[in-house]
Amino acid sequence: MQQFSRRDMLKLTGLAAVAASNVGWLAKVRAQEGTAQADPSWHVLSRVTWGPMAVDVERIQAIGAEAYIDWQLSPENIPDSGVDEWLSKFDYLAGTARGVYDRAYVDDYVYTVVPWQRIYRAAYSERQLFELMVEFWTDHFNIAAGDSMGEKIVDDREVIRRHALGNFRDLLFASAQSPAMLFYLNNAESVAEHPNENYAREVMELHTLGVNGGYTEADVRAVARALTGWTVADTANGAGSFYFDGSVHDYGEKQILGYVFPAGRGIEDGLQVLDILATHPSTARFIASKLARRFVSDQPPEDLVESAAQIFLNSGGDIRQTMRHILLSPQFAAAQGQKFRRPIDFMVAMLRALRPGLDFGNRPYLVWSLEDLGQLPYNWNPPNGYPDAAGAWLNTNGLLNRWNLALGFPYASEGWWDDISLNLNAVVPHAANANQLVANAVTAILGTPARLPREDFDLLSAFVADDGNPTIPLSEEARADKLPTLIGLLLASPQFQWH
Amino acid sequence: MNMQTMKSRRELLRSFGHMGIAGVSSALYPGWMPRLVFSPRYQNNAPGTRDVLVAIFQRGGMDGLNAVIPFGEGSLYYDRRPTIAIPEPDGSALAAIDLDGHFGLHPALRPLKDVWDAGSLALIHGAGSPDPTRSHFDAMEYMERGTPGDRSTSAGWINRHLLSAAWQNESPFRAVGIGAMVQGSLRGTSPALALQSIADFHLQGRDDQLEVVSRTMAGLYNISAPEDMLGTQASDVFDTVNLLSQMANLDYTPAYGVVYPESDFGAGLRQVAQLIKADVGLEVAAVDIGGWDTHESQGGAEGEFAGLLGDLGQGLAAFYADMQDYMSGVTVVTMSEFGRRVDENASAGTDHGHGNVMMVMGGGATSGMYGRWVGLDSDVLDDGALAVTTDYRDVLSEILIKRLGNSAMDQIFPGYSMNPLNIFQAR
Repeated sequence: MQQFSRRDMLKLTGLAAVAASNVGWLAKVRAQEGTAQADPSWHVLSRVTWGPMAVDVERIQAIGAEAYIDWQLSPENIPDSGVDEWLSKFDYLAGTARGVYDRAYVDDYVYTVVPWQRIYRAAYSERQLFELMVEFWTDHFNIAAGDSMGEKIVDDREVIRRHALGNFRDLLFASAQSPAMLFYLNNAESVAEHPNENYAREVMELHTLGVNGGYTEADVRAVARALTGWTVADTANGAGSFYFDGSVHDYGEKQILGYVFPAGRGIEDGLQVLDILATHPSTARFIASKLARRFVSDQPPEDLVESAAQIFLNSGGDIRQTMRHILLSPQFAAAQGQKFRRPIDFMVAMLRALRPGLDFGNRPYLVWSLEDLGQLPYNWNPPNGYPDAAGAWLNTNGLLNRWNLALGFPYASEGWWDDISLNLNAVVPHAANANQLVANAVTAILGTPARLPREDFDLLSAFVADDGNPTIPLSEEARADKLPTLIGLLLASPQFQWH
Repeated sequence: MNMQTMKSRRELLRSFGHMGIAGVSSALYPGWMPRLVFSPRYQNNAPGTRDVLVAIFQRGGMDGLNAVIPFGEGSLYYDRRPTIAIPEPDGSALAAIDLDGHFGLHPALRPLKDVWDAGSLALIHGAGSPDPTRSHFDAMEYMERGTPGDRSTSAGWINRHLLSAAWQNESPFRAVGIGAMVQGSLRGTSPALALQSIADFHLQGRDDQLEVVSRTMAGLYNISAPEDMLGTQASDVFDTVNLLSQMANLDYTPAYGVVYPESDFGAGLRQVAQLIKADVGLEVAAVDIGGWDTHESQGGAEGEFAGLLGDLGQGLAAFYADMQDYMSGVTVVTMSEFGRRVDENASAGTDHGHGNVMMVMGGGATSGMYGRWVGLDSDVLDDGALAVTTDYRDVLSEILIKRLGNSAMDQIFPGYSMNPLNIFQAR
């Protein structure tokens, strides 16, 4: 409660905009965005990290883009002691499945801890590309945690993180046998007498072949029959792990995607289904197109999707090789600034630009903000995962919420939130005058002053100088007063919304 | 899985999340804010000549056979749903509510019986999309585009209605989608506003910087001459903030002591009512209600599905009562991407089906059961589900022509030919 009453008393309050008719004076010739000189290494960093930090810029300049990508593609070789230490506060996350389930069952706090650790890892893990892959697969194999956060914690660990840069077949098999997925898409209750088709449909439509991947309604039903008995052992029987219950399996003959499944087989039915799906050309195409949409552009070039699908197919579903192909492709290099940051991308990029200390308090402001922005982790109910393309996110209320987060968050430097510590002086170096302060702030938030059109630069200078001369010395008091909002304006600027 | 627990946890998180923001906004409303009368250009420029449309989408595929129950089918219904069937009407609180001797409302929809009795609730059974897909995402997309089976159409059906209408309306509230995202039916080149909360829709920041911050943001986004989608949205933010700031009373009190359900759906309808009464130029609102994908433990007269219907029915009835002085100019229509299979599944739920029930509520509608009911005999089922005998566009096209004054069906529903059901009186 305390932070918010302080917020009330301090300064957060309704702020209405000037009427649109009053801003005619702003009419100006706007410098073309994107004319800032092409900067290949900044582009690579913008896409293989959650937001470039100075240390990333130094590294990529030292070793080159290809070596940087290869380094990030081998997360097993990247130490991550900061994250490990932070996570050790929540030791149950790494404990036995039983322990996790029990904890989530009795402790509602877990429902806040889990989104919070998602944000923290994205912001501060050294394994940046790995965390982006985790995000991709979390959407692809979406599970709304609902009441089963314990199962989702185990799914995140044993399915998504274990295979995020590994082999797709392993990932698919792990997901199909993950208690969280078995519950979420109801396969756990599917029995011969009344098969439940939910998982059978989505594993083809969303996880492998894609909706136009060449399956029929009859295939959906037959796959559901093949997967009858794939369930979760009860506690007495094996502590909530995958279990094949032969007593409820449908042993009849089945025809699936042109294959005849002979009568009398048990778990082999489902294993063969997954094998067919994992190695199907439609799956290669579907996965390649989704990866390209996430990492290249909302309308990925057809030739890139084709070549990435070939790599995926020829490598037996090797995710690392497929990603390497995409990230080193000329189509990737040509797609600068074409992705709109989704809410979590935006928030994490903001955190990486400001590098606040994040503790875990009772009222995690960032988790609520992400919910207001419409992307609370593990909370997308339909099985298709949070949308990727800009069209789904680019709307009025979403933009306003984003602006409010950007303009409010830098005030963490004044101690508004118990669990966030922020030193803006470490982000934006001291400056002699308003122009220099703006230049330093633009460099800190957007990488280089060239990324902000001159007119916008002048607007910000006028803000800092109170419409006075931006080249005369700036008092320490004025600098401290203006800096949080100056940073907020840059985070809210159009340039920061794309990467 | 316990839906109740899930909800309470979510709402706990949510209520904390909004405390700081909602709590301050009205108390410290800045005194300098302009309170101008509305510019005439923002008013629906021919007041009273067309209805406001409220389009409700039930995401997940509602089980229409347990919402409007064909109890008159006898064993064809009851034998296929051994644990989830709704008992025949017998006057008790947990039985169907008789409508016409063959169909009955689920007991959780009891609030809608008053609307039915008042003559303003039309029910269309066996309605749906002619496309056979049973994928949620395809079915929703086709339904919201208005062109089943065809993805090449560039916008949602409501957006194409606004584009093809003979009149113009520059209000940012012309089309409003309640929620964090704009619904597919509203997407397209005619602008649509995503609106979560009227009370929270303003820039936040320091009192002493209000003016300069909004001026600077307007400049950064060049809102006087937007150059792209992002600039257009930014411009809409400013227009919207300005208009909402002029609404005399942001703390809306519904008429006649009506209380809306405390759900996202109830809050959404409440805001739609507020916008209609404020006369800010609203022509179409889209409101979602989710959770209908009841593959497991859906329950019968009580339980999970009953809870969803309760929210739906109470929300609609509250809207009807609150808006009773306006209802002659309002049409509400519900739809869902598909219905569910007749047979109950192993998890005491139901799987994806096809035909469903649509509801229409409004002063221009006449109560009754509409559509062509073919029954539940195995040989008339469509892959185990109620067949679609009424194209959902038969309902929408009649609304568009008779109540919204737009007959451009070739643009709104290209390739579709009309079969009016005569639910509505023309205005």
